[in-house]
Amino acid sequence: MSEPVHPARRMFDEGTTLEDLKAYMAPFAERLGYKFNTDTDFVNEVLESELEILAETGDVYCPCRVRTGDPKEDVKIVCPCIHFYLDQFSAIRKCWCGLFIRRDVEDGAALHGVLAEFRKGDIEARVASVDDLRDGEGRGFKIGKREIALFRVGNGFFALANVCRHMYGPLAEGYLDGYEVMCPWHGWRYDVRTGETDHPNANVQTYPVTVRGDEVFVTVSA
Amino acid sequence: MSVKVWALSTCPYCRMTRKWLDEQGVDYDVVEVDKLEGTERDDTIAEVKALSGGTSFPVIKVDDEVIVGFNKSRLQEILPQAAKQ
Repeated sequence: MSEPVHPARRMFDEGTTLEDLKAYMAPFAERLGYKFNTDTDFVNEVLESELEILAETGDVYCPCRVRTGDPKEDVKIVCPCIHFYLDQFSAIRKCWCGLFIRRDVEDGAALHGVLAEFRKGDIEARVASVDDLRDGEGRGFKIGKREIALFRVGNGFFALANVCRHMYGPLAEGYLDGYEVMCPWHGWRYDVRTGETDHPNANVQTYPVTVRGDEVFVTVSA
Repeated sequence: MSVKVWALSTCPYCRMTRKWLDEQGVDYDVVEVDKLEGTERDDTIAEVKALSGGTSFPVIKVDDEVIVGFNKSRLQEILPQAAKQ
């Protein structure tokens, strides 16, 4: 499976309501381990703003960030933008606006003063639910600028740099043979537990993985 | 002491920041960046990026200190008007 992609930009019908937006956004947030803030008044206030922006621009841009006019930049602030900022949002347990909070947060209103400061040190990002991957399956995603491949072998989860050292193939799309993943492009093999390969000086970086309940977290250094 | 706020008209934390500053009796200038047009908008966005490292709002400048987001505790520390509360 490839990394979770942003929903294709879609045209909203004229007369799109707040409830329409909620129904549209909830599944994307849910897949990334987020839910709407428990502060319903606040959620409605943010979504009302998004409806204004939608009427003006034709899309639901983040109400707390400004459109630059560069489509490549601006696509990153179409709501919900969570997967573009997994590292930052995981650290503050909400999106920048606080429209969405991490699924494990009970009181979303208590996070209103928490800011998306860049933290130095390790960042633990929630990347998947245990059930998202079957035994022998991989998935690629990004934490900040890092491309990560997550694999499941039995009930174990392992994270590697998602870049083969041969020709930069996407290891997450490779074939898993026990604990070895075979790059889909030219078959270089890596041990998903250690990142080691038989090719000299070509091991790939590994990242610590933690499973809590049914959630899988990967830790990277900031 | 000079206080300036760069805000978006659509942003809830920008509204909270302005309401709070009003309640504290703080004099401040405010720029609603999304209401600007043309080169003034581009220049202002560039200024905000240079100050804050991003395009997230609100951005609050108190003399030489730049605060991103409605960081009430920091504002309370540095604004004498608010500290009296």
